[in-house]
Amino acid sequence: MTDEELKLKIAACAKCGSCRSVCTLYPERRDEQSVARGKIALIESSLAAPVPLCPGDTIPLGEESDAAIRDALADCLLCGRCERNCPNQVAVEEILVGGRTRLAGKLGLSAWKRWLFGEMLPSAGARGAIRAAGGFAQKLFLRKVPTESGLHYRFPDLAGLHGRTVPALPPSGFVASLPEGEGLIGEVLLFVGCVFDIVMPGIGRAAYETMKASGASVAVLRESACCGLPALASGDREGALKSVTKNIASIRARSPKSVVFPCGSCLTMFRREVLSLIPEGDPLRADADWVSGRCVDYATFILETGLAGRLNPMPVVEKGSVGWHDPCHLSGTLGRGGVARDLLTRVAGDAFREMAGASLCCGYGGTFNVRDYPTSGRLGANKVSLAVRGGTSTIVTACSGCILQLRDMAARFSTKTRVRHLAEIVRELLP
Amino acid sequence: MDDISRTRLREIFGDRFRDAPDDRLCYSFDATGREYLPDAVVFPLCTEEVRRTVLLANEFGFPVVPRGAGSGFSGGCLPVRGGVVLSTERMDRIITIDSGNLLAVVEPGVVTETLKEAARRLSLFYPPDPASMKFGTIGGNIAECAGGMSAVKYGVTRDYVLGLEAVLGTGELIRTGVSTAKGVVGYDLTRLLVGSEGTLGIITRATLKLLPLPGSTGTLLALFRDNGAAARAVAGIVAARITPSAMELMDRSAIDCVRRVVEIEMPENTGCALLVEVDGALAAVMAEADGVEAALRTHGAIEVRRATDEAGREQLWKLRRSISPALRKIGAVKLNEDIVVPRSALPVMMAFLSDLADRERLTIVNFGHAGDGNIHVNVMISGTDADERRRADAAVEAIFRKTIDLGGTISGEHGVGISKAPFFEMEVGPLGVSVMKRLKAAFDPKGILNPGKIWLDEGMARS
Repeated sequence: MTDEELKLKIAACAKCGSCRSVCTLYPERRDEQSVARGKIALIESSLAAPVPLCPGDTIPLGEESDAAIRDALADCLLCGRCERNCPNQVAVEEILVGGRTRLAGKLGLSAWKRWLFGEMLPSAGARGAIRAAGGFAQKLFLRKVPTESGLHYRFPDLAGLHGRTVPALPPSGFVASLPEGEGLIGEVLLFVGCVFDIVMPGIGRAAYETMKASGASVAVLRESACCGLPALASGDREGALKSVTKNIASIRARSPKSVVFPCGSCLTMFRREVLSLIPEGDPLRADADWVSGRCVDYATFILETGLAGRLNPMPVVEKGSVGWHDPCHLSGTLGRGGVARDLLTRVAGDAFREMAGASLCCGYGGTFNVRDYPTSGRLGANKVSLAVRGGTSTIVTACSGCILQLRDMAARFSTKTRVRHLAEIVRELLP
Repeated sequence: MDDISRTRLREIFGDRFRDAPDDRLCYSFDATGREYLPDAVVFPLCTEEVRRTVLLANEFGFPVVPRGAGSGFSGGCLPVRGGVVLSTERMDRIITIDSGNLLAVVEPGVVTETLKEAARRLSLFYPPDPASMKFGTIGGNIAECAGGMSAVKYGVTRDYVLGLEAVLGTGELIRTGVSTAKGVVGYDLTRLLVGSEGTLGIITRATLKLLPLPGSTGTLLALFRDNGAAARAVAGIVAARITPSAMELMDRSAIDCVRRVVEIEMPENTGCALLVEVDGALAAVMAEADGVEAALRTHGAIEVRRATDEAGREQLWKLRRSISPALRKIGAVKLNEDIVVPRSALPVMMAFLSDLADRERLTIVNFGHAGDGNIHVNVMISGTDADERRRADAAVEAIFRKTIDLGGTISGEHGVGISKAPFFEMEVGPLGVSVMKRLKAAFDPKGILNPGKIWLDEGMARS
């Protein structure tokens, strides 16, 4: 996006303050910098002419404020509530990502992000190697926390780690453990995503097995790169484009009827963002458009196959003890929360009940969780505590970030609470 | 602001004192879109911190500008002379809701909707409903005397403020008013502080009047061929002795503007729309809605739609709610005014606005609270055309002059701030200005609080 295009999008913001009423972060920070209006004003000032023409005009902040503005822009969960609630339909997310890209270009990306987005995430092989090393280190250095959703490891409460927990890395990822010849050819393509492949392969496997059980012929995109969302959100368009180019080419080559995503954030990348990354006139655009139109969420796919009607009834659990958590991207940006609820109603019957605070953001926010774990943790703990107090003992959702966050919260504060992916629930009920 | 002042403020506020350029920038604006950089921002948590800030300001001579959510339309919270922006957003406790005495005691940073919701849970009602109520604060509402759609039946913020605690420009803490329904001991300082735009005192606590919550609401949307028919229908509803809880008028300019952005089904010849709500006990609402519908039809409504359930009402509100976003799409800048004329002068004013728009080749979009004569006049400016800007400024002045000639006022609910300061004397006259300045000197002798607002001084002009 050019500076002029960015300015044009910013001009739509009337600074009315509506974003203050819905911002996930505002109750934590309680200042203007945390909300969209403040962040947009900061980007605007970094683009402004060096001297205002008359009193009251946009005040320029010199380059010496660039680093402070970059930090202010990074302090956001990209949950999208401000944009959906904006009376002027300001393209907040595009403006923020545009601002982040601009500053990342000027100030450079941090070394670890350059490596992560540029080298590791686009390469399936590199991710596998890191997983193996990580799994080894976990066992060596961290303390075990058994939970209802699997073994977690706890970091010590020092040096910014704050006692966070991470799931135990399994000996092998989902794709790596597929038997040779399995899932090579099929009309429907499963885009499993990094987290459900490597960190929680059980979810990747559950998605694959339930899709197969629906009667479809299912192939797994074995050579997938990261969806590119983490890079894009950090303002690294190049890194994001590297992943996107690879994925679009390999998906298009297979000409699937549809591409199914167990993770709502990966899906959002494909449905909403890929086209904005590829320049006009690039031959890749036509392929990206073709692919984007075939991408669907897991719940929509399963509902359409009619599998829900062929499942075993759910074993007797307490009425209303199963709840649904709305991932911001899946339910908010893409509006698929209703479909997921439909599926849960079909498979869980009256065990499913609308959860207290179902649509509250879990506070994960991708790199936000790394950047400010205490705040991310407070938002997540609040979410889980609301759900538990409301009588929910199993939280079901469909986003890798949300599951990482909610399982961490459960491991820390409420080890009896189960956090499940929709596909895990469905697999348990396969006949 | 000098270094000693900064050090002293930092002693009081710790990390709630901010003076980095990015922090200051985020407190340089409000909903007018204009920016004036403060020297620093402070976030008090209690009255004592407010008082100490003002005492310091007296000692060192820097301005203090109180700010709620920064959602005002007149620039009331802009630090036009620099100094310290004192943000009340963290003083946001509801101290008590007294359902026996029908009152609430709140801190200034409470968001208006939060209070309304807390009252609602006890079947109580805080009526003021400015468009910004979901994010605007009570403190800001009081300082600007915010109104809203329900003013036609329930009045404005002023009518619900029983008593105040405020820090004067001298740093003295005053408690005004009462915690009772009546009270007439001395001058009414409470009313003087309401709408004083932070120039006399900084409100640190407010005692507010509550009402019982009306049981139900009925909504009607009527479409007319022209403004004249709609204005006659408004008169008809008043003549039927019905007081609606909202009566919103949207003229052809507003309807055309919405049509360019969203699809709303209505007859092609619709030239004016009137949205009417009645509230109260269910039986009364039904009867009043019938009365309203009869008046609307008698006065030539092409179509009347009616709803009592939430979904149906939302559908009817869609037209009204779409106006502001649509406005943003058709013009880069809007001069957003909120004149009020006596209800009987509405047809004259609407005709004047439409003629003015034609004559000056301007887009002027009008909508607003027809029930109380409060019209939001939006003069749209599409680009950077200097001639258009000049014609628009002249049109605004002509509108204000006509408003005053008709016995109205140039601001119903936004306040003067900086945006109406050039026209202030036109309405209140030289003696009015002089008396107000004498009052200001009594409350704030050193001119510490929110300088550069309400009246023009030192040649400040609307740019």
